[in-house]
Amino acid sequence: MNIYLLQVINGVGIGMLYFLLAVGLSIVFGLLRFVNFAHGAFYLLGAYFCYQMTRWGMSFWLALVVVPLAVGGIGWATEKLILRHVYATDHEFHILVTVGLALVVQELVILQWGPLGDSVAVPDALQGVVIWGNFVYPKYRLFVIGLTAVLAVLLWWVLEGTRLGSAVRAGSESTEMVSLLGINVLRIFSLVFGLGAATAALAGVLASPIRGAEPFMGVEALAVAFVVVVVGGMGSFSGALLGGLMIGIVQSVMSTLWPEGARLMIYVAMAAVLLLRPHGLLGRKE
Amino acid sequence: MKKYAYFLLAALVVLAMPLTMQSGSLASEVLIFALAAMGCNLLLGFTGLLSFGQGIFFALGSYTAALMLTRWPVPMPLALLLATAMGALGAAVVGWVAIRQRGTYFVMLTLAFSQMFYFIAYTATGLTGGDNGLMDIPRPNLSVLGVELWALASPWQLYGFIAAIFLLVFWLLLKVSRSTFGRTLLAVRDNEERAAAIGYNLKLLKLQAFVISGAVTGLAGALHAMMTGLAPLSNAEYHTSEMILVMTVIGGTGNLLASLLGSAFYLLLADWLSQLWPRWLLLLGLALMAVSLWMQRGLWGLGDSILQKLQGRRAPAATVDAKGEQA
Repeated sequence: MNIYLLQVINGVGIGMLYFLLAVGLSIVFGLLRFVNFAHGAFYLLGAYFCYQMTRWGMSFWLALVVVPLAVGGIGWATEKLILRHVYATDHEFHILVTVGLALVVQELVILQWGPLGDSVAVPDALQGVVIWGNFVYPKYRLFVIGLTAVLAVLLWWVLEGTRLGSAVRAGSESTEMVSLLGINVLRIFSLVFGLGAATAALAGVLASPIRGAEPFMGVEALAVAFVVVVVGGMGSFSGALLGGLMIGIVQSVMSTLWPEGARLMIYVAMAAVLLLRPHGLLGRKE
Repeated sequence: MKKYAYFLLAALVVLAMPLTMQSGSLASEVLIFALAAMGCNLLLGFTGLLSFGQGIFFALGSYTAALMLTRWPVPMPLALLLATAMGALGAAVVGWVAIRQRGTYFVMLTLAFSQMFYFIAYTATGLTGGDNGLMDIPRPNLSVLGVELWALASPWQLYGFIAAIFLLVFWLLLKVSRSTFGRTLLAVRDNEERAAAIGYNLKLLKLQAFVISGAVTGLAGALHAMMTGLAPLSNAEYHTSEMILVMTVIGGTGNLLASLLGSAFYLLLADWLSQLWPRWLLLLGLALMAVSLWMQRGLWGLGDSILQKLQGRRAPAATVDAKGEQA
């Protein structure tokens, strides 16, 4: 099979994970107007919680449901207990408080699971490859593409088709107006922050059988999520999807052409997009 | 007298460190990172730009100094100057792209660029040594036209040299912050729209602040490479940018002397706690959260308000300008 076609499909898989990672960051920014530097920490927690559950002999499928709920709950509580108290201050302090939080989470993870990473087993049902004619591809990676596609549709429906979604979209335009209409904006803030944490954790769970779990994956994921939202456009759902796919495919194809420089190329791609479209592919001027 | 108060206080700290501290390397490190934190402070405290890219300039400075001292036989002072220039150049490039964006976008861009630089340094093994970094960097004595002026072999001799450079840069930055340029930066920090409406060229001002900050940080990186004899890849990591930023914020923004305080606090605490508990960064994360939540003017602001309370008068600085007075 053509190696480039294979790498493009790989790239779609990575890109969908990047989308899942970045979409929460983007929505949280759209509504709360602040960049959550602890977003990578939720991804990290997702991967490690999944690792721990499978080590305890529980099924991966259970982890796939339980871990996002648990981390989403942590995110929800974080917003209520900590972040709410800095909204009135300058945006530097929004960032710094989450930088501090990310550091705390990372050190707690090292304290609990040690500084070295470990691998997470691919669930039994998804071991091996699928073979269609001369198309041979790992089952787990196909599953990731399928599941993230379903989740993308689901998230899109939540944002476009539910009351919560309308409140979020309206809140992104004007928080004040929404609260004047009698909607409890603070409740929406916690919910959306929890949702963002849950999607990041889900990305962590799905990524863990591919790349394992290690304590510094949070920082790396944060930087990638930034690239995706900067490329796609901040606060835009479809921007996160487009940016995620583009970055995933660039990284994957480049890993065949120039393995040492593949990670560098995603940042080069970002710089190129920014020079042409300063607000990202689908972003609006603020 | 008040005009020189900050400079005299800085000189006092520089003189007090050899009397109170055991390790000359640790004292040197305090001054080196105080330089880096002052560079960061010029952006955050004076211009309102939160930069996660300070590690780029620090690493650029250390790589440049390392290359100059190992591969090309340039005199040591020239190597330091070139490292400073490389820091400024790096900041001009990063700044040129990043300051097109404002607020949170700007912050994210600086972090993305710092990751980009990390992968460049990782890939360009011919220049940077890649994962291994550059090693065995010599520390030549300071000499002019063959006349030896200053031996740098022992840690405390090096401390003296770094202290002289530190005080010079501190003096220069104090001058900059009190100049019309420095005052204009404060206007940009406090209200960008107003400053633009008055007719200031925001992009140019921000770029200038960026270049100065990059130069100072590059110099700090070069001194660090000279002190340790190493220019490791870890200088280009996210962690370095984060550390410089944390020192700046914990010390207090908007005041240059506070950056010295922040650097000393961070490094002395790190030196002490890391022997007791390897996961001391956890406490640092908590400290950063506490500062963001309750102590936004940092240690300097805390000391300031305690002093005001002791003197029994209302704190005028705190009511007029919550972000702290300028040095």
